[in-house]
Amino acid sequence: MSETAEARADASALIAEEVLGFQRNMTRRGIIFSFTGYISEGILKALGDALRQKIRLESTDTKTVNRVFSVFVEQVQNIIRYSAERIEHDAEPPVELSSGMITVGSENGQFFVICGNVIGRKDADTLAARLRELAGMDSDELRRFYKEKLREPPDEGSKGGSIGLIEIARRASEPIQFDFQHISDAHSYFVLKAYI
Amino acid sequence: MAVVETIEHEATDRTPAVEFDFSAGKYRLSGESYPEDAANFYGPLTQGLRQAIEDRASDEVEFTVEMIYFNSSTAKALMNMFQILEDGAEAGLKVRINWCYHEDDETMEEFGEDFSEDFEHADYRMCPLT
Repeated sequence: MSETAEARADASALIAEEVLGFQRNMTRRGIIFSFTGYISEGILKALGDALRQKIRLESTDTKTVNRVFSVFVEQVQNIIRYSAERIEHDAEPPVELSSGMITVGSENGQFFVICGNVIGRKDADTLAARLRELAGMDSDELRRFYKEKLREPPDEGSKGGSIGLIEIARRASEPIQFDFQHISDAHSYFVLKAYI
Repeated sequence: MAVVETIEHEATDRTPAVEFDFSAGKYRLSGESYPEDAANFYGPLTQGLRQAIEDRASDEVEFTVEMIYFNSSTAKALMNMFQILEDGAEAGLKVRINWCYHEDDETMEEFGEDFSEDFEHADYRMCPLT
């Protein structure tokens, strides 16, 4: 082997070590899959199919499979609709991509779905207030609140998202966790975690 | 305005089968629903239903829903259609709604019960399937 080829082989070994370490770290945390980057409805469909197949194989009962899937769909659609990092283009068909992160995993016999995305700082306060309200509700209250919201015309600029959050809270087996981190004057990073 | 007589769509992975026969007053939605754009998918259906109810396109209306899963934007669309049906029933039209679900499916059963609360004049039936 020439010296350059040897150097390249050494570098490759390091890449394998790094990537394997990364994957093992994810596996240790119970992660089934994690997607970071621009998300479209097509990616939602593909990941959703893989998710259903994977957790069905683990002989999870249908009710749990449906709950996890439902939380996943609402979370990903929230990223697609509300991420402040987005690309829209009037191509044919139109391009609509929103940046964010979606992770599904299991720990201690429960599934979890985490989403993270950038939102406007002003929206963070409204969203936090909404989520705090949901966190204080029991399942009957969530059921009634969902119904109440269905009857109402959608909030301005919400594209129906408030019902999506109630759906997530209803399907979750414990109060949903959420957090915000200010990243600039204009933007916050928003994280939502639901256990099922 | 020309009256649309039927809307039919085959089910896809993320949209339900649609059989809307306006002149016969028979409507059916079945399958799964989490469309890319719920307003785009359900808009024409809701509009067609509204028009048919206003025009009294049929003497009786039977609306059947048999869903396995639907997302929150679909729930909103269903609610809009149910309001049109209840308004029609209140105005004297004979309306029957069949909410069909698998008997073990608590989620769909709960949704069915919750939607039933808004019907006073229409005949709303829960139809558990085995």
